[in-house]
Amino acid sequence: MDTSQNLPAGPREHLSSPTTRAVLLVQHTMLTAAREYLCDRGFTELLPPIIGPVTDPGARGAKQVDVDYYGHRYKLMTSAILYKQASLTAFDRIFCIAPNVRLEPLETSNTDRHLAEFHQIDVEWAGASREDAMGVAEGLVGHVVRRVVERRAAELEVLGRDPDAFADLLSGATFEHRTHEAAVADLHALGHAQSADAEIDWEGEAMLSAKASRPFFVTDYPKGSRGFYDRESDQRPGYLRNFDLLAPEGYGELCSGSEREHRYAQIVARMRETGENPAKYGWYLAMVREGIPASAGFGIGLERLTRYVAGLDSVWQASAYPKVPGVVAP
Amino acid sequence: MSLSAPGFPHEAVRERARTGTAAVFPDVSTYGTTLYGAGEAVTGDALDAAALVPPVFVPERLEKLIDLAREPLHSDVDLTTDVGGFASALPVYLSAFGSTQVASVDLGVAASAQAGALGVPMVVGENIVPVSGYGRLDDAGGRSLLARITAYADAAPDGLGGVVVQQSTEDADAEVWNLVYSDPAARPLLESGRLGFELKVGQGAKPGLGGLTVVAREDATRLADQFAVEPVFGRDGPLLRSASPGTFTEEILRQQIRLMRNNFPRARVWVKLPPGRDIGAATRVAWAAGADSVTVDGAQGGSGWAPRAFLAGVGLPLAECLSRIGTPQGCLLVSGRIWEGLRAVKCLAAGARAVGLGRAALLAVETDAQAGLRRLVEALTLEARLLVSALGKYRPAALTREDLWWPGEVTAAEPVPVR
Repeated sequence: MDTSQNLPAGPREHLSSPTTRAVLLVQHTMLTAAREYLCDRGFTELLPPIIGPVTDPGARGAKQVDVDYYGHRYKLMTSAILYKQASLTAFDRIFCIAPNVRLEPLETSNTDRHLAEFHQIDVEWAGASREDAMGVAEGLVGHVVRRVVERRAAELEVLGRDPDAFADLLSGATFEHRTHEAAVADLHALGHAQSADAEIDWEGEAMLSAKASRPFFVTDYPKGSRGFYDRESDQRPGYLRNFDLLAPEGYGELCSGSEREHRYAQIVARMRETGENPAKYGWYLAMVREGIPASAGFGIGLERLTRYVAGLDSVWQASAYPKVPGVVAP
Repeated sequence: MSLSAPGFPHEAVRERARTGTAAVFPDVSTYGTTLYGAGEAVTGDALDAAALVPPVFVPERLEKLIDLAREPLHSDVDLTTDVGGFASALPVYLSAFGSTQVASVDLGVAASAQAGALGVPMVVGENIVPVSGYGRLDDAGGRSLLARITAYADAAPDGLGGVVVQQSTEDADAEVWNLVYSDPAARPLLESGRLGFELKVGQGAKPGLGGLTVVAREDATRLADQFAVEPVFGRDGPLLRSASPGTFTEEILRQQIRLMRNNFPRARVWVKLPPGRDIGAATRVAWAAGADSVTVDGAQGGSGWAPRAFLAGVGLPLAECLSRIGTPQGCLLVSGRIWEGLRAVKCLAAGARAVGLGRAALLAVETDAQAGLRRLVEALTLEARLLVSALGKYRPAALTREDLWWPGEVTAAEPVPVR
């Protein structure tokens, strides 16, 4: 695979380019708007941990990064999920802007949508249903886009991003929902071979995304495609009470979320189903055993959302110090 | 120190590693002076006791004759086979050796290079990384994995073979698959469709147990975080390190396979099962969940350390496993005391797609690090061609259970009406 094309320049050239400056100003407004939206709805911002004895195993094919923590093997966070659930014992509604590191497979280096180091706007809400969480995600994305259109017209112009691209999103029409099963059928109809048991592949996501004019949800992923913390449906065993939010115009996945599994025995069994050894989740399982709240939540990839809002070719353009998988960079 | 393998025909294996196809026959110097006939009494298991039974009438030979416009010979048998999603030169693969001291790095690398050159798939064993590695492939344990992958890839002909990396429950902590899938060293294999991952559910030598190894006292502290370490060899002796067998239900197996397919879409998915009494159900679950291949290790299998009780009387023999599986619904691979062509062809006739060489490969490589495995496999290949052609068939997939006769059975197959 040729990775020499379309890669970030050196740090000085990248940081001082008008494009990067415009992107980072758009992103700054997005972060301000996200905090505004969530704080107004009673969410408390927490600062997430960066290392811990265990992290989210649910990243597809990505390697975790080991840290030698005084002789103990710790991990850099691949996502904040375990800490988000635990944090609900402090507050009912929390969010973080969480840094994540995932050593993605090298084949992701030219997808234009993977970074080894990225951030998520991570939200968790005790007692919430999946639909509650989807409502917050939808409102949040709408608010962020609206603020950027209101406040960053000059930067969007520098980037060549026509604000009319958001007309449908800002029209007030709700985001469409479709099940994973229906999305697979749509892809088959488009002649794309997509497994019904697996997460929608990157090419398939881009195909579905290209046909949409505003973001849309895909729900009910099959068990076996996601981590142990996505709750299995009581009504429809084998399917998860989860969702992805996909951007239109071919930009693909922005966000994953779910109603969470919080029951101890179910979590242990699900850990085994995802090939995990429960022994390494000691602190988390001890908390779960004593009881953590039922919840729902999601994580929005900040750089991916920035790519969509700013209309960028590649997600690395949305980072001041981009780490494209496999590419050595500061 | 040379390897020994009690109860295993190690001298015969070593002879093949030295002399190759010559060992398929009696000593050639006895030709013309010795009368051979009824062979030695059979002493092995039920599979050894079974016989291959060539028919008198051979319609497939007629097809081959028409195809070739001459009488077919054993050299016309085409042994190329799809083995678990890989094109293989032979219905043979190299089994995992495990992490025991026996499977030292040097033997492992020599075996890898020879397996690559033969164009047959190779499974790299569990526990290599968690026992001695700690991070990336160029760390201590990763180096042996990396060395084996590289030795194989350098020797393999284009488009043939594949490397399958095993992971068991404890390996999951070390993320062996994620490590390999994202490592530049494995990329040529991944991009040529020759990388696979094997979920290790269990093993033949000690069904129901996880991996067992003997470790030096000084290594105990480092390993105690991950494994149970016990002083079973006296106060000053080395320690027994036990890995857990892992907990599996139908749903856990099904979902783990699906997750492998989801997370590693470009890798083949293999599953290794122990010779459990529910082996038929377990193979069906694995195939239905999308496994490219299911390996069954008969109770005679294994190169690793096992308690005597387990070697003596735990687990189903390979023949019984094959019987309980019946007609395979996917690619079935088997291992367990296989070193020559007769047992191999019996396994193929009983439903297996290919056979694994474990102990035999180790002994052969130890006998001759450059060519021991190659010669052993050449001997097996010649025998397989002779046997398959004797059955009137010219490709392994054509073999069926009617090619086998089990002592005690009245007929080998349903009577065929005479026309």
